[in-house]
Amino acid sequence: MNKEERYDIVIIGAGHNGTTTAAYLAKCGLSVCMLEERPECGGAQETCEPIAGVRIQPHAIANYGGSAPGWEQLELWKYGFRMDWKAGAIVPFDTDRYMTTSDGLSQVTDKDKMGYAKITGLLTDPPFFKDLMRATFWCPPHPPHVELNEHTIPFMQVYKQHQPDMWTRELLEWTMFDLMDEYLDTEPFKVNQAWIALVSGAHGHMEGAAIPALCSVATVMPPAVAMPVAPRGNIHGYYHALLRCAIAHGAVVRTCCPVEEIIIEHDRAVGVRLRDDATWGAKKIWANKAVISAVHIKPTFLEMIGPRHLDSGFLQRIKDLSLKGGSLYMTHYLTRERLRVRPKFQTPGYRYENYGSFTGPFFPNDSRELYFENVTEVMGHQRNLTIPPERAMYGMVAGETYAECHPQSTRPGVYINGPQWMLVPTPEYNVDGMDAMEDKVKWNEYMRKALSQVVENLDSDNIVQIIGESPREQEFRNTGMLGGSWYGLRCDRDQWWNERPLPELARYRVPGIDGLYLSHQSSAHPGGLCLMAVGYNLMHILIEDGIAEPGDWWYASPWYIPEKGKKSAIPSRPSSVATR
Amino acid sequence: MKKRELVGQPHPQCFFSEFPAESDWDAVVIGAGPNGLITAAYLARAGLKVAIVERRYEIGGGLATEEILYPGFYSNMHAIYHLMVDFMPAIKDFDMERHGLVWIKPNLQTAMVFEDGGSLLLTRMIEDTMDSFHKYSDKDAVAFGKLMRNWRRIVSEILAPATYIPAMAPIDLTVAMQRTEIGREMLELVEQSPLEIVNKNFENDRIRAFLLYISCMWGLDPRETGIGFYVPLLIDRGMNKCYLHGGSHKLAGALSREIVRAGGTILESSDVIKINRHNGSVTGVELMEGRTLNSDVVISSLDPHTTFFDLMDKKKLPTDLKESVERWKYDKWSFNTLHVVSKEAPHYACGDPWVDESFMTIFGFESTKQLLAHWDNVVAGKLDKNSLGGHATCESFLDSHLVRKPGNHISFFQIHAPYNLEGGWDKRGPEIKEAMLAKWEKAAPNMKRENIVMSTQETPKDIEIRFPNMRRGSIKHGDYTPIQMGCFRPNEACSNHNTPIKGLYLCGASTYPGGLVLGGPGYLAANRVAEDLGVKKWWKPTKEMEHYIKTYLT
Repeated sequence: MNKEERYDIVIIGAGHNGTTTAAYLAKCGLSVCMLEERPECGGAQETCEPIAGVRIQPHAIANYGGSAPGWEQLELWKYGFRMDWKAGAIVPFDTDRYMTTSDGLSQVTDKDKMGYAKITGLLTDPPFFKDLMRATFWCPPHPPHVELNEHTIPFMQVYKQHQPDMWTRELLEWTMFDLMDEYLDTEPFKVNQAWIALVSGAHGHMEGAAIPALCSVATVMPPAVAMPVAPRGNIHGYYHALLRCAIAHGAVVRTCCPVEEIIIEHDRAVGVRLRDDATWGAKKIWANKAVISAVHIKPTFLEMIGPRHLDSGFLQRIKDLSLKGGSLYMTHYLTRERLRVRPKFQTPGYRYENYGSFTGPFFPNDSRELYFENVTEVMGHQRNLTIPPERAMYGMVAGETYAECHPQSTRPGVYINGPQWMLVPTPEYNVDGMDAMEDKVKWNEYMRKALSQVVENLDSDNIVQIIGESPREQEFRNTGMLGGSWYGLRCDRDQWWNERPLPELARYRVPGIDGLYLSHQSSAHPGGLCLMAVGYNLMHILIEDGIAEPGDWWYASPWYIPEKGKKSAIPSRPSSVATR
Repeated sequence: MKKRELVGQPHPQCFFSEFPAESDWDAVVIGAGPNGLITAAYLARAGLKVAIVERRYEIGGGLATEEILYPGFYSNMHAIYHLMVDFMPAIKDFDMERHGLVWIKPNLQTAMVFEDGGSLLLTRMIEDTMDSFHKYSDKDAVAFGKLMRNWRRIVSEILAPATYIPAMAPIDLTVAMQRTEIGREMLELVEQSPLEIVNKNFENDRIRAFLLYISCMWGLDPRETGIGFYVPLLIDRGMNKCYLHGGSHKLAGALSREIVRAGGTILESSDVIKINRHNGSVTGVELMEGRTLNSDVVISSLDPHTTFFDLMDKKKLPTDLKESVERWKYDKWSFNTLHVVSKEAPHYACGDPWVDESFMTIFGFESTKQLLAHWDNVVAGKLDKNSLGGHATCESFLDSHLVRKPGNHISFFQIHAPYNLEGGWDKRGPEIKEAMLAKWEKAAPNMKRENIVMSTQETPKDIEIRFPNMRRGSIKHGDYTPIQMGCFRPNEACSNHNTPIKGLYLCGASTYPGGLVLGGPGYLAANRVAEDLGVKKWWKPTKEMEHYIKTYLT
């Protein structure tokens, strides 16, 4: 029989953020154990092959994390990290681009391109794009004593330094639409960007969210990653490199080990007890220095800690955290022949024989009125979509081939198309009931009709199979995606940066419980998108608390402000990497 | 497929570094199935700089626990019955318990149910099996008890340890075995066919059919002589199957962690397109994505055709080697597997409540005649819808973690099936699936349509699509016949895991001792490479192997 084990650090959950944290801490020389409830690690960074020869990615696909310090600090290339660079990758704005609307194509104008390049930091020499991304995502929220204003908020500091004419007080109040109205030109381009922001976590129409929303779109764009590309081996290939970095530095991984309870003694988290169906039985795993919860914030406090240690006022606020806005219905289509785009949507000069690039249609980008109609349906009425499928907004990655030498489908005579995503109500709040979207035949058909607005041969003769997934199923598969929410919690102004998930939890610590830290997309800034950001940001806090003592490879965020009375996470001796 | 022009270097716009276009290694292993992983893990810990490359997006080969009943259910799609946990050196050498691996060995191992409600059990404890045999024949029950006491010794003292000791020529083996009584007894078995062994020792036809299925289910020809020693091995191991909690893939995960911890590198989604050679010696491998891994040692776990013909210039191979590859015979049958999610676990219509709890349940056969007819059909490329049978396992009975949606069960029903089915799988697949569902419902009446939530069928063609080097759906990379076993696997020149090509080694199921997650080829290849390179071995033979070496080889 195995004895109870003891480590410096116990991390609950081996998804993207838990594993990033494990890699950082193991690299600091700490003994780290990661506990994962599923048989396989990776969380939402997963790839699977439900039908022989047909690979799909149920959740994350693109590499949003191109600007992460983690590439340098964790050296993922050593652990096999590769991208699939596709020939003819789109370089930002040197080609004609079109948006898809009900009336056909809408060209992205020079004013759009120049405006976009300006606000994302590509017009200056050198560009400040990477600084903008890092300021937005890769910096822990400031300590409570710092007043948040245009002088202290990291992305404002970046504009102040590099693009002073954009540095206005209003920028902090604007919605993403306000920002785009100021700098961009065509409505369909703006609607497209806002919709991508909407499903990426930061709602483009919410006040004060202009820059975070913009950045969550821009980080999947060139130059962070030149499109259209994906990690080799798909998103799980990226995860493998991250996991192996953690393992190479000594981290221990235990799968099929769900956690029942975070053990708290004398107001200190000292370990965890496993659920009785864990491979090892209901054993205890002890943590000398810290327990880090890299699972959803709601089960962390409501189930693993609970009222024995927390008051009902606090628990109510945890219950009230909004899951809205991130639930997607998703379909993949297996077809006998390639999908053909209807003539009016065919981009001039685009070689359709190469169809299968990373970009699929985002449709219909007609107007913000249509955008709001969709938002109202899902988030206002909280009902199943009643908009006719012709007017429902969706996004699609035409996933047939991300790389010419590594097709998604190796099944003879079968093409894979998708995923196609549609924003739908969160099951928990759906007025039609939790299981209202489980009639998958019906919703698959709805999705098919919506996509058929743009492609002409998505019919029963062509379709071999539709693989659909409802938000409820996503929650079953992946408990970190509570409510099927892709980014765990809504990134509105009350749940972002210094208020994510709650103001007193924003610096990853749990007041009143020493030795407990938060590292899940739902519980920490900046949230999801597989950015290696939560782990990096948390490192600052763990250095402040004397838990992590990184080597020369570490550098802190330039915008980081240490907490009063704590050790600073800025290395006293600048490392060689940081000065590079 | 053609190699790409340039992939191996970061895009000029890119902010981050990638794995380099060209890199140098002490050893490169092709294929991250159980054997490739074992070879790489031993060599990496021995201090070699090892890279292991895998075509799929996930390592493990047949150690695959995947979500094919999508979304929410994991299935063990190949290896599930771990036969050699008691003996596999890698499990001890790498102290797999440290990795959190827990193998469950239920007492109720295999059941067989009959249409009249009769049933048989094969259990870990010999006496429980005897109890079950008494229902049909007191004589057979007693014979089984007596036989197994001897056969267990043959297995634990000879056959199991020999699995991890280099192949010997038949004549040397015969001389060695003469030294002991059990050795001589084993030699006698060699010359009998499985059918002869079963018929000679047992009188009841159901008991014969049961034991014949267990002996031959992994691909022995029931009527072939020269492989009879497999009967005690497979019956004894059939009584000692283990289930790896969390699914078979966990073993791959643990081995991969050993490789990474020892400084090795794993590259998935890397199709090797060429084994590079210079002046007759290997110099590394080329990947389809455009990267090159340089190494004087390349160890292939792939089937002979892929290794020698697809990845090398066939014309430059020694004639003997070329001819032996051309002669290579793939498995005589493959599997067709029906995976299902159901609301209730299968409940078999028979008088013995233990049957429902069995790790494996065989049904569809009432007699040896019917069983032999099914296998004859399969070999002839046929399946008779009205007379097929196989074995089923309810995985969630042992492992709740495979089910993400509460309150459901996951099971599979597997039959022997031809790769080239008369009429074709594309056309006849749906009809075979229906026939299997009907057969299952007949044996376990609650497996009716209303109970089944989801189902998917994995045909022999699907096996090949998923794992291209399980050619023709060959789960063992090549048939078990006397001329493809022992020192003839895959041929006399390569059965000791080196090859006539300098620097090229073999470590897959097509080499001695064979497939079925024995971990034998991988272990033996690691030993061979370590010896050839003069690398100090950090591991020692198991105590069973030492006893075997002392008794028969010194």
